Amino acid sequence: MKIAVLGAATTKFGELWHISPRDLVKEAVSEALDQSGCSRSQIEAIFVGNMLSGVLGGQENLGAFFAEELNLPVSAMKVEGACASGGLAVHAGVMAITSSLYQTILVVGVEKMTDHKPEEVAKSLMGAGSDVERQAGATFPGLYALMARAHMKKYGTTEKDMASVAVKNHYHASLNSHAQFTRPITLEQVLTSSIVASPLKLLDCSPISDGAAAVVLSKNKKQKTKNKKQVYITASVVATDSLGLAERQDLTTIDAAVRAAKKAYKMAGITPGDIDVAEVHDCFTIAEIIAMEDLGFFKKGKAAASIREGKTTLGGRPVINTSGGLKACGHPVGATGVKQIVEIYKQLKGTAGKKQVKGAKIGLTHNVGGSGATAVIHILRRD
Amino acid sequence: MLSPVKIWRNQKKIQKLLNLHGRILSWTKIYVPPLGFESQAPYVIVVVALDSGINYTAQLVDWEEKHLVIGQAVKTVLRRTRDPGEEGVIPYGIKFKPL
Repeated sequence: MKIAVLGAATTKFGELWHISPRDLVKEAVSEALDQSGCSRSQIEAIFVGNMLSGVLGGQENLGAFFAEELNLPVSAMKVEGACASGGLAVHAGVMAITSSLYQTILVVGVEKMTDHKPEEVAKSLMGAGSDVERQAGATFPGLYALMARAHMKKYGTTEKDMASVAVKNHYHASLNSHAQFTRPITLEQVLTSSIVASPLKLLDCSPISDGAAAVVLSKNKKQKTKNKKQVYITASVVATDSLGLAERQDLTTIDAAVRAAKKAYKMAGITPGDIDVAEVHDCFTIAEIIAMEDLGFFKKGKAAASIREGKTTLGGRPVINTSGGLKACGHPVGATGVKQIVEIYKQLKGTAGKKQVKGAKIGLTHNVGGSGATAVIHILRRD
Repeated sequence: MLSPVKIWRNQKKIQKLLNLHGRILSWTKIYVPPLGFESQAPYVIVVVALDSGINYTAQLVDWEEKHLVIGQAVKTVLRRTRDPGEEGVIPYGIKFKPL
């Protein structure tokens, strides 16, 4: 597989009360289109990644909604898979191009969450869980807390280990002007923040965010470009598992991610050791520790120590979540999977600024929906 | 509001889940609840491996600190679940109780 990424951009993520979803999407799309060198008439389809526009905003039919807003009256549809909606929209775009139905398409990810109160958002997000979990009064922090407790028991992972993920990702976000949180934090601050769902504390959790991201994908390479480095998607894989956490074989791993990653490495003809930089789904700090093990970067039970020692911080290898991740860059759920592609694109192009990983050639994105029901893996490389 | 029809349909599943024994696989105490659970927070949620071979997620009731450990023996009981609001049908469901 070789799908060219011609342009990629995000808005700033954060509590953006003054900006509507329409304007967020316009901003991201206009920048991505500018970079791509494509004219608007070359865009043949739009795939919108979004989870909560219906339940929170009362607006569905997002394909037509944004097609009208962008003045691009082409094939358009919303793709939903909880927090993996963005990754799934990219996957849908890749399928559309590999099917040869379209040459050049636009993928948009968007979410507007901060207009609503936390209980409403927590309830709406639980739409991604099972009915039994909703009946129990579970929340997403709660489900990941259950995974965290099991991981702590089995591998001796500590609250300090988890806190070190937050510290790393806030450090990376401090180098990213588009991040929601741009100030570094300390282990102490994480450990003493208020409890959301024990053992997870406020600073173990990704925030509620607004934001949008867009990428232009094409069968063809860019014709004229100042920056010669061309970035391609070389693998795009989706795997699914039970909606509910209880039905999984093992609470300390996300099996859908393990299966999707294995298939993606095979599709791209690489091994985990070839990855220079990755954006992973750190909706909670424990999720990044589990992701490191699921993706094959570290052996089961060994990731926490490696993260603590700085092996995945800028300067180490593989560098994880240079954007700040969901934790610190922010997590507008439908935008996240698309933003991950944007960040890896910038890293491989060499345009990631202060957070640039030197000489990055191969990157990976890991986007998870629910407590592990949907996993989307993309692998990107440059010439 | 929860659909009364949906509550009625789900009640049928509950009978089969009553008085089952198992052990806690993992637990968490929820401090920030979703809509409909505000009056109960903080509350404990557990994933339990039932002796019948299936795993189930529900709240733990009638617990003391010493019960909040992986491996604790529990059994299923019938309890009210979420707040139905002023006009809703009261939903009942499965919760766990320490043994």
